[in-house]
Amino acid sequence: MLALIYFIILAVIAVGAAACVLLSKHPLYGGLSLVLTMLSLAGIYGLLGSPFIGVVQIMVYAGAIMMLLVFVISVLNAAKDNKTPMFDGVSIFVVIGVLGLAGLVGFALVLSPLGFDASTLRGSVEMTSKNLFDTAQTGPGYFVLFEVLGLLLLSSMGAAVLMAKKRLGTDEAVVEEKEEK
Amino acid sequence: MTNLPLWIIPLFPLLGTILLGTIALISSGSKKGPSEGFVGALSVLFPAISFLCVVLLAFGMPEEGIRQTLCNWIDIPMLKVDIGFLFDGLSRVMLLFVTGIGSLIALYSIGYMHGDRGFTRFFAYINLFLFSMIVLVLSDSLLLTFLGWEGVGLCSYLLIGFWNHDLNNCKAANKAFIVNRVGDIGFLLGMLCLATLGGSAILNYDALNKFIEMLIAGGHVELATPIIAVAGLLFFVGCTGKSAQIPLLTWLPDAMAGPTPVSALIHAATMVTSGVYLLARLSRMFSVIPEVLVVVLIVGMLTAFWAAVAGLFQNDIKKVLAYSTISQLGYMFMAAGAFAFDASIFHVFTHAFFKAALFLGAGAVIHALAGEQDMRRMGGLIKKTPVTACVMIFAFLAIIGFPGFAGFWSKDLILERLYTNAPFGEFFYFAGLLTAVITAVYMGRLIIMTFFGEYRGSKEKEAHIHEAPASMLIPMVILAFGAVFAGYLWADSMGIKFFEQTLAPVVSDAQNYALGRISVAHVNPMTFACFGTAAALLGMIIAYVIYGTKRLPRLHKKWGSAPEGFKADWTFFFDYIHEIFIVMTKAFAFIADMIVDKILQGIQWTVGAIVEIVGDGVSSFQARKVRVQLTLSLVGVVALIAVVLMTGGLI
Amino acid sequence: MELQPIYIQILALVLFTLGLVTALARRNVFFVLMGVELALNAVNLSFVGFAKTLPAAESVAGQIVPLFSIAVAAAEACVGLALVILIFRNRESVDSDNYSNMKG
Repeated sequence: MLALIYFIILAVIAVGAAACVLLSKHPLYGGLSLVLTMLSLAGIYGLLGSPFIGVVQIMVYAGAIMMLLVFVISVLNAAKDNKTPMFDGVSIFVVIGVLGLAGLVGFALVLSPLGFDASTLRGSVEMTSKNLFDTAQTGPGYFVLFEVLGLLLLSSMGAAVLMAKKRLGTDEAVVEEKEEK
Repeated sequence: MTNLPLWIIPLFPLLGTILLGTIALISSGSKKGPSEGFVGALSVLFPAISFLCVVLLAFGMPEEGIRQTLCNWIDIPMLKVDIGFLFDGLSRVMLLFVTGIGSLIALYSIGYMHGDRGFTRFFAYINLFLFSMIVLVLSDSLLLTFLGWEGVGLCSYLLIGFWNHDLNNCKAANKAFIVNRVGDIGFLLGMLCLATLGGSAILNYDALNKFIEMLIAGGHVELATPIIAVAGLLFFVGCTGKSAQIPLLTWLPDAMAGPTPVSALIHAATMVTSGVYLLARLSRMFSVIPEVLVVVLIVGMLTAFWAAVAGLFQNDIKKVLAYSTISQLGYMFMAAGAFAFDASIFHVFTHAFFKAALFLGAGAVIHALAGEQDMRRMGGLIKKTPVTACVMIFAFLAIIGFPGFAGFWSKDLILERLYTNAPFGEFFYFAGLLTAVITAVYMGRLIIMTFFGEYRGSKEKEAHIHEAPASMLIPMVILAFGAVFAGYLWADSMGIKFFEQTLAPVVSDAQNYALGRISVAHVNPMTFACFGTAAALLGMIIAYVIYGTKRLPRLHKKWGSAPEGFKADWTFFFDYIHEIFIVMTKAFAFIADMIVDKILQGIQWTVGAIVEIVGDGVSSFQARKVRVQLTLSLVGVVALIAVVLMTGGLI
Repeated sequence: MELQPIYIQILALVLFTLGLVTALARRNVFFVLMGVELALNAVNLSFVGFAKTLPAAESVAGQIVPLFSIAVAAAEACVGLALVILIFRNRESVDSDNYSNMKG
């Protein structure tokens, strides 16, 4: 019962913040609302017996990714675009399509029988690390995936640096050099 | 004396290269250039020290030679090569005349290149060449020899195109380099062939010899013969490239575009003989494949004969000498083909002296005439330049095999061995004898046209004719002495066999093995000496009868040879063959290009057109908005889920 | 009344829908990115919710895959934001409808 009450509170915060993301005018507000959604989702993870994922959610998602997003929004001060309308004709079409999808999936969900397993804790740090790194038990698959993920992050970082830097010798760089003089 | 390390021999030319190269680079900006005396002294000093080291080592050399490993070169799985040096009878002979004649020619070049803007650069190249040549002959493995082999090819290219402001010189350099590449591929493939047989360790000469011995002792020669024969043929292709044998000989006459000392050093005395050196070095291997040696014999005979005939029709003094070089190289290959590796190396040795003397003499003549190379505009020079004339006449007597001179001993030895050793020995002997007659004719023509009769140039030029400076004359005189007396190291009919004993540890095994299978005919050596003398005298008489009278100059309009230039006379036959190969390649490339260009691209265009038409139709559905397209795909997903749900796939 | 797994799934569905709508309906490119993040979060929640219905030993995938998806999302956000900066520099616009020309 208590779990349900917690869940309802967290769910309302999450959905409300998500709606704020959809309806906010400035991307900065949207980003901060998204952080709120993520924090409440982290709470729900804890509620479901996966505290490790909850902590990772707060640290990586709310902490790192969203801060990066907010930072970029602040740097590109033209991110708020008054000329662009928030919604247009396409939006109606989108909403209809997505609602159709949601209705169908929801229908399928309601039809499927589900029940909670009795064991409460399943996603503690200890268990997660055992699943990840104890290759004798779960096989090498997750471990290899973990390594590959490290590579992916490294390469995406390289790609980001490569794309975002100013190319020397381009018109833009030359113009900026002139401006500096 | 023997505790002198072997790496000290190539070290000094290398130091010279680096030092002179640095000087050349530093002074490239200045207008005057560095002092010629200083540079000249340096450039002679380094080869001379090297020569001194060789002499010291040569006297203290033990019978079986000196083997030293300097360091590890390549050490990867499947391939382990050391930088090692092998100083035995064969390398000793080669090194003695490479460094000795190299030093002399460096000395000569100081006078010849006087006032040239590229003075320092020239000597840097010469030193680099000597370094590469020393590495070539001193190395103890095929791979290191190949390094030197490529090095001398590079230097040859650099020095042929030394006066690179003339496009013809650059073309000649390119030709030499590219033709040599063909041969070098043979060398490389030959090494690969051997490596397939016994791994990379077999590339070491000692290991190779041991391997062959083992095959013979075990009686497995027949099993390995096909691969060894292929390897031998491929090595021979490499030799034909470097030593200008048929069919890769057209580059050598063109190589005369370089400065004359270069022609003397690289394209007469040392580099072109490296093919003969390789044959002798691999003699143990060649001894088990007599079939390949027959090929060598035939190729050598054809080259010697053909080049001698071609030499008759040249008017450029250097090109005559170039053809005579090819012809003499043909003799050396004939000797190698008749299992007489020691005789071929002996001819290399004597040839180095008299041909270098001839070239240096020609250089002195050209120097005296201020760049004139056409023999039709020479004549009567014996009065103006007596020393040069004497040197050249001595060398001339040596090359035609006049009794007592160096060429007499080596050439007669080759002819004798041809008669006794080779299959169909009589035929090859008479071909060699005929070639000797022709040699005497064209060399006599050269001497007569240059030094006798009346001067045929303009009067103003005649006044300027002068004897070369002392720095040029001294090397020439020394070489002329060599041309006269070098032959006495192995004067067979006088019983002196010093040279044979020198080479015995290297080649005698191979020769004895090869000769053990055929019966050696015994003929009195004096007979051969008489025939050889007769051939030389006959050639001289013919030359005098044809050219010695008033009928000079014989101006062939059709074959008029320009003093310098790209196309040498009488190479046209082989140039045409090369041309045909190039045309065939081009035709093949053209057909391939047609297939790719027209047919494949046609298919490509057809497919592309179909896609384009279909795409044009579909693109009318497309809005240029990512969101709309994404939403459309979302609708697709909705439809998919609906279908799944309705068919009951989920539940 | 107890907490039922279906509630979690419905919450995940609602968040996914909101995320998708944000990503597709808004024209500002930052909102597109945020919508994608929101949808990813919803999927993670769905994973964890389903994992809860299985015995602890069998729900390994449900615990691990969200971790990986968070890491991939980090990479995606990194590259995505770099792209946004790049495009913004070229086009001086954050309107995703302007990005219709494939040729840079």
